[in-house]
Amino acid sequence: MEQNVLLSLSHISKRFKTEQALKDINMTLHQGEILGFLGPSGAGKTTTIKIITGQLRQTSGEARLLGTDSSNIDASIYEKIGVVSDNSGIYKKMTVWQNLYVFAGIWQVSRERVEQVLAQVGLAEHRKKPAGKLSKGQTQRLVLARAVLHKPRVLFLDEPTSGLDPSTAVAIHRMLLELKEEGMAIFLTTHNMEEAAKLCDKVALLHDGEIVEFGSPQEICLKHNRNKKYSVLLEGHRELELDQNPENVRKIAGWMERDEIMRIHSCEPTLETVFLEVTGKELNV
Amino acid sequence: MNSLNGNMQSMEMSAYHSAQRAGNLHKLAAVARIKWLCISRNAMIMIGPVLVIGMVYVCKILYGINSGGTLVPFMRGVLLNIGITMNICAEGFIMVGTSIAEEKESHTLRVLMTSSITGIQYFIGSILFPFMMLMAVNYFVLFISGIPMDIVPWGSFFFVSMVVSLTSCVLGMIVGICAKNQMNANLISYPFLMVFMMVPVFGNMSEGLHRISGFLFTGVMTGMTECLAGGEKYVMSSLDIAVLFGELLISILVFLVLYKRNGYEKD
Repeated sequence: MEQNVLLSLSHISKRFKTEQALKDINMTLHQGEILGFLGPSGAGKTTTIKIITGQLRQTSGEARLLGTDSSNIDASIYEKIGVVSDNSGIYKKMTVWQNLYVFAGIWQVSRERVEQVLAQVGLAEHRKKPAGKLSKGQTQRLVLARAVLHKPRVLFLDEPTSGLDPSTAVAIHRMLLELKEEGMAIFLTTHNMEEAAKLCDKVALLHDGEIVEFGSPQEICLKHNRNKKYSVLLEGHRELELDQNPENVRKIAGWMERDEIMRIHSCEPTLETVFLEVTGKELNV
Repeated sequence: MNSLNGNMQSMEMSAYHSAQRAGNLHKLAAVARIKWLCISRNAMIMIGPVLVIGMVYVCKILYGINSGGTLVPFMRGVLLNIGITMNICAEGFIMVGTSIAEEKESHTLRVLMTSSITGIQYFIGSILFPFMMLMAVNYFVLFISGIPMDIVPWGSFFFVSMVVSLTSCVLGMIVGICAKNQMNANLISYPFLMVFMMVPVFGNMSEGLHRISGFLFTGVMTGMTECLAGGEKYVMSSLDIAVLFGELLISILVFLVLYKRNGYEKD
């Protein structure tokens, strides 16, 4: 087996009565890597997480998490992984501190670690506040703090920044990148392509239960950059979009010589436009 | 050399099992702590035991005033029956069932089940505090009911009270497993309450109900308290034992069947 592979999916399929939820899913996740699973609602993202974490049985194929077949895993696997689902709850009547401390008891984590994580997510000053009185962003940070309390080797995040304000989302992104630096492997599902492009080492575009594209965000975008274009903003606020051809190259060179260009950049497709091109559907639905 | 290796291996195995047992106890204690924090902060649940104790105490005072300061044995029996059956049924089913339903409602049950807690740890951790609470209130009601303490068969009372409280907690787990939310848990509890609370309470008013009551685990408890109230010596019959253990076993089996089907929460 390849070194540092913490998760591997091989030909995973899942069928719910008449509906085919997943079709032949293959992928691997390595230590210190963030893998993004992108797709619209109902594409099969949550189903995949449930299969990997043993909450759901696949129809066919094999999922191996930390070397164990996911259909044979027991509760002890959750000592090594963290799961944040889109509706992970908190104990609203308990304080922020108690919410973490009771789980510290389950994982036998020290008080110092609870303090450390509270500070990491910026909730140290809210420790005595009932969790039910936290804002949505603070609640999500508490959920994330709980999921990483026991320093899991693999962290599963199902839409972690869905519905959050931009500053909270940025704070969570920063935290995820720190966790990645510490060597944690992160499996992230999202329909936010900007988030995926910013955080993920690899992304899988999922459509109707099928991976339609897989690779690093840059690789995918460049692969679909068939008609190279440049956006140019000239003096006088004249904005142009030019195809790459000898004539436009000469034009651009001339503007550059005369120092008339205020801004220039290439127009390679984003993950969203790639998704649209591959599936014919919008990602944010 | 071989025997040395064998000894080392068996020592390692025993150390591993000890560590595993300690880990299991930690998890059990953590679930029990969560349940204690949840239940003790839920006014809807915690009002129950206070209500039972308060009702028995106030009734004892009021009936006492009306009957010249002392209660007739019949009234003592009625008070004791109502207090204990209310505690066992209303509290047992509702305290356990509602607390599980509350976890489903707030999506914390799935969080717990994906934090390395096993089904059995959740089961024991969930009923530990309610079980102790039921036992404590049973004793409290016995003390304030006015029954002469010297006629109480303490061993039998402890044994019956323990089995009955345990059965009630398991029934509460069944309520919790079937309920979608707290409101739903209350609704599901009502048929259990009608049978296990009403039949023994009204058993001394109707011969038919009294006969049926003898086949209910709560009926065994009220049978004992009626004897105590009347100043009679309580002797546990083989039918009582069969009813107590039979219904505990049946409730555990029903729970297991439901748990096997969907776990604590249907996906």
